[in-house]
Amino acid sequence: MPGGAGLSRVGRSGLGARGLRARVVLAFGVGAFLVSVVLVTTTFLLARSYLLDSRERSSTRQAYVDANLLRARLSTAGTKVGDAIADLVPGSGDVVVRSAGTWYSSSLDVGHDDVPEALQSVVDGGDAGTVRTRSRGEPKLVVGVPVPQAGLAFYEVAPLSELETVLRTLGAVLAAGAATATAAGIVLGIRASRLVVQPLEQVAGAAARIAGGDLATRLPATDDPDLVTIVGSFNSMVDALEQRIERDARFVGDVSHELRSPLTTLVTSVEVMRARRGELSERAQEALDLVVVELARFRQTLDDLLELARADAGAPIADPVPVPLALVVEHLLRRTGRDQVALHADRDVEVLGDKVRLERAMANLLDNADRHAGGVAEVVVERRGERAMVFVDDAGPGVPPDQRERVFERFARGPRAARRSLPGAGLGLAIVAETAALHGGAAWCTDSPRGGARFVLSLPVAR
Amino acid sequence: MSAVALRLLVVEDDDHIRTALRWALEDEGYDVAEATGAEVALEMVAVRPPDLMVVDLMLGEMDGFACIREVRRSHDLPIIVVSARNDTHDVVAALEAGADDYVTKPFEVKEITARLRALRRRARTAAPETEPPTDEVLLDADPEAPLVLREARGTVHRGEEQLPLTLTEFRLLCELAASAGRVLSRQVLLERVWGHDFFGDERLVDVHVRRLRTKVEKDPGEPRIVVTVRGLGYRLDRQ
Repeated sequence: MPGGAGLSRVGRSGLGARGLRARVVLAFGVGAFLVSVVLVTTTFLLARSYLLDSRERSSTRQAYVDANLLRARLSTAGTKVGDAIADLVPGSGDVVVRSAGTWYSSSLDVGHDDVPEALQSVVDGGDAGTVRTRSRGEPKLVVGVPVPQAGLAFYEVAPLSELETVLRTLGAVLAAGAATATAAGIVLGIRASRLVVQPLEQVAGAAARIAGGDLATRLPATDDPDLVTIVGSFNSMVDALEQRIERDARFVGDVSHELRSPLTTLVTSVEVMRARRGELSERAQEALDLVVVELARFRQTLDDLLELARADAGAPIADPVPVPLALVVEHLLRRTGRDQVALHADRDVEVLGDKVRLERAMANLLDNADRHAGGVAEVVVERRGERAMVFVDDAGPGVPPDQRERVFERFARGPRAARRSLPGAGLGLAIVAETAALHGGAAWCTDSPRGGARFVLSLPVAR
Repeated sequence: MSAVALRLLVVEDDDHIRTALRWALEDEGYDVAEATGAEVALEMVAVRPPDLMVVDLMLGEMDGFACIREVRRSHDLPIIVVSARNDTHDVVAALEAGADDYVTKPFEVKEITARLRALRRRARTAAPETEPPTDEVLLDADPEAPLVLREARGTVHRGEEQLPLTLTEFRLLCELAASAGRVLSRQVLLERVWGHDFFGDERLVDVHVRRLRTKVEKDPGEPRIVVTVRGLGYRLDRQ
């Protein structure tokens, strides 16, 4: 429907804020309205002109008949015009006659006022004519016929109110028809918009499932030639995405394997050497100690990088389990020899997630305090509404406000760390931020009430 | 360590890792044999089964999964998997193939020896000569085929048939049976059976329970003896 296409263009520019469904409905509604208005107007005008024409023709014929009758009466000698008119029974109206400058009429309802001057001059010129006029609030048809043999101008005035009623009724019926057609257009528009939007909703649903991690989702094949392209493109897009994610995962896996294997040999060999430390010269012992420290650092960095690569791959948590945060922190403090750290933990706080990754995030927060701020002062685990909060307060000087976001960036290191060669590549807090995001939470840095920095991990509690 | 060194077979195709691992494990007192691939390992196991195995997952022609499955056909010895990948899929697949525990590369040898010790500890508990074979626990009183656990002998019978449980599965069943009717959390089972601390992988428990069920349950799809208590753990119900 060309009108519809044009309207939708209008819709885009003028009604850009409206949704697709509203635009389709509007296009159908306006289209149906315009088409029915055109049809109704044409029908009405044609009907009106046909009815008026036929009325004029029949009135003219009748006027000729009546005029002849009058002429015949008047041809009888002595008959006065006034009497002859009185006897005349006109078919469809009243008669007005001008004879020798005097006006006669068949009824008191009409007079020479009802005959427009334009018609008078036509008739005076020897031609017949009709004029629609309105007098005394009523539409009228005036037919003028010259009767030269009797020296008369014969006018017949017929009321048109009846015809007007018919036309009014017709107009009303047609208008009702137009309204119905418009309403039908809107209904059709609603159904059509549903049909149009349905495939889009399918696409949206599929896209949401894919975003949720279900990469096996595909749109069902369709025969609809209009949808084949979009379905095909969508499915091949998902194929490409899946391949890419697989490739990335494989790459991370391969890198992981290629680096872990030699690292395993190194770690194991160094352990064998440490078992024989006493057999080494003093310098060799010192060298071995350096190797041990650097190897640990290398392992940590590799683990961190792989963890971040895994986070970048965007895979959701494979099988989330309820994790009691207080217990994680408790065990972590004990295992890392930080038993003296003050812990205020609500043991009922549980989050749904990956225990190993959460533990790692906590460990990174503790390590961060040790590295940059003279150690952990206090750890708090508590529930605030629907959030599980972990506060790690340190004993350092705090983090300046303009640094508080930057410390969570990858390879970001505090100024103190930049001066001294401290272990850790500066990925610890980035992993904390990624882990928080993975669990639907957030991590940030603020001031501790006791003066140092406070690192906050906020996670949604398990329901 | 016992007076007689435990025989340990290391299956690893990376020469450097294998050699270093042999040195480190020998330092720990094990009698270590090496296999460069799954086929060699299977031949060695067939000739003289070791007490323990450490198997790498990425081997040549035949991978570690197949190797473990093959060994499991006829041996219940503890198997520890070492993997350079720690994605969920590989770990679960290895456990389902029959591995008892896993460590991820790069590991420290003491991680492996700690796991091996835990796996041997339960193996010793099941040694037949330590206790008289009197304690019989009836787990399923089905008159046709009763399920009987004899902890001291290290056997489980369904009717006349002795069930081929691995040592880990047997130990898991003993722990559950010792607390029959009470829920044991995955955490507790990890500590008692595998000797892991709080941060151990709870999937170990889930996979082993699944494997145990295929052997002791009449319908493993609808377990009645070893039941899951949602969100808490597992419970053994005597039938």
